[in-house]
Amino acid sequence: MHQAKDHVCRLTVMLLTLLSVGLLLFLVGFMLRQSFPAIRAVGLYELLFGTEWRPVIYQDVPQYGLFYLVLSTLYVSALAVLFALVIGVGCALFLTCAVGHRLRALLVPCIDLLAGIPSVVYGFVGLYVVVRTMERLGRAAGESILAGSIVLSVMILPYMISSCLHTMVQLRLRFEKASAALGVSHWHMAAELILPASGKGILISTALAAGRAMGETMAVMMVMGNAVIRPTLLGKGETISALIALEMGTAEVGSLHFSALYAAGLLLLVLLLAIHLGFSLLRRRLNREGVL
Amino acid sequence: MKGTSRLIRLWATVSFILTFGTVFFLFIYVFCKGAGAVSWEFLTQGPKGAVLGTEGGILPAIVGSLLYTAIAVLFAGVLGFGTALYQVFYCRCRQVSGTISLIMQCMAGVPSIVMGLFGYSLLVLALGWGKCLLAGGITQGIMILPFIEVRAEKAFREVDGGLLAASWAMGVSRSYTIRRIVLPQAGGQLVSAVILGGCYAMGAAAPLIFTGAVIFSRVPTDLMQPAMALPYHLYILLTQGTSPANAYATAFIMMLLVLISNAIATLLTWRKLQ
Repeated sequence: MHQAKDHVCRLTVMLLTLLSVGLLLFLVGFMLRQSFPAIRAVGLYELLFGTEWRPVIYQDVPQYGLFYLVLSTLYVSALAVLFALVIGVGCALFLTCAVGHRLRALLVPCIDLLAGIPSVVYGFVGLYVVVRTMERLGRAAGESILAGSIVLSVMILPYMISSCLHTMVQLRLRFEKASAALGVSHWHMAAELILPASGKGILISTALAAGRAMGETMAVMMVMGNAVIRPTLLGKGETISALIALEMGTAEVGSLHFSALYAAGLLLLVLLLAIHLGFSLLRRRLNREGVL
Repeated sequence: MKGTSRLIRLWATVSFILTFGTVFFLFIYVFCKGAGAVSWEFLTQGPKGAVLGTEGGILPAIVGSLLYTAIAVLFAGVLGFGTALYQVFYCRCRQVSGTISLIMQCMAGVPSIVMGLFGYSLLVLALGWGKCLLAGGITQGIMILPFIEVRAEKAFREVDGGLLAASWAMGVSRSYTIRRIVLPQAGGQLVSAVILGGCYAMGAAAPLIFTGAVIFSRVPTDLMQPAMALPYHLYILLTQGTSPANAYATAFIMMLLVLISNAIATLLTWRKLQ
């Protein structure tokens, strides 16, 4: 009786595991299947490097070039990661070196709150604060790549800080006693030991944060103006995810436009899976070698 | 030498102030602007007005969001806990468990909009459910699955090893050990994982745009009906741009939910930290 119960339990757990692992395969399969018509009709090269996105037939043939969208996505994410890197590493360093154990346990949940705020709320505050401020500073339209990247940087900041903090706190524990014995100050230890040693950890956090930034939809869509043009710092831009969110509703199911949107999604998916796969493996290897 | 460390100290302090300034600014901004616009009517009426949402309230959106979240949490909880149990207590092969956690990490990287596309093509079109609560909830559930799995796995790994060893040594069955030792010990963290995952699902609009959320509906009574959701409603209010007061109030309600659920989740894991 007990053994039978144990068996049922075991089988259920295995089934559930198979299901959750299978979901990813399913996902990739569905994305491939839906985007295949567009890839075949438009061609991979034209999809990736075409600069015209004109999905609705107007006078001439429709064009499905994702180049500017990819460029905007990369531009806004790179800028956001840069901001978040500078502030996030600094903040993690402060929390490691200037703050005691108890205070840190109190402050970290406050930062985690940032990760809990819905992205629509970020877009909302971004629209009313960042975009308006830029308009007050003299821009005709505040919606821009810069506004998008500022909002995005705040969104990825908590991930940056928490993973940097994890590395740095361990390093501090490793160096603390020796430094104290030699009479080295906290900040000297931070500058000469902790910061250089956490380089690899910071690199991985940065890459994963970049992936998160590239996948973000709503907040970016609300503050970037959404125009498919060559992205410039103060000009409008449209990311891949915004394109999908905006146009999916109007694309006819089964049409080329529909399929092209899936192809855009597939492109984003492949980019992000590559980042996550690569850096998760790297992190695992560094973990095993004890570098992190 | 003195110079560099002083510079780094300055940089760290400024970053720290900026970060916490942003946290407080965000909450205070939304709370100050939004709290005034929230009233009892706002919470208990449906949206009204010539342009929908300029008058009336958000009751259908609140109920819709809670239902979407409940479905998501149920789906992700069952699959996530199952996977985590397998990873910690059943899997004997390191390669298999490594592959599973790698797959989970990849799933965590799938952007929410792609989840929406997937849910749309699988649940809405291929299975023929149409836009409905169930499709939206499950899409969100797939999105938060890795989030919950990773936290559940961590909670299971932190269970007292001595107790487990004693249990195995006495020949107690796995299922009994899990029920009587593992679940009570990891319970707090599991609940906190579910709450945070639910919070994450509740705030995500991107997976719902094509799978369930609509601009207006009554309070849903059936799982196969489409329903409103708070984040999507906020987005619609903003794109219409006609009623900033109601937008602030909706944002306020969402921030309040975030704050409360985070507080509960932190309290549940607090004892573990101490």
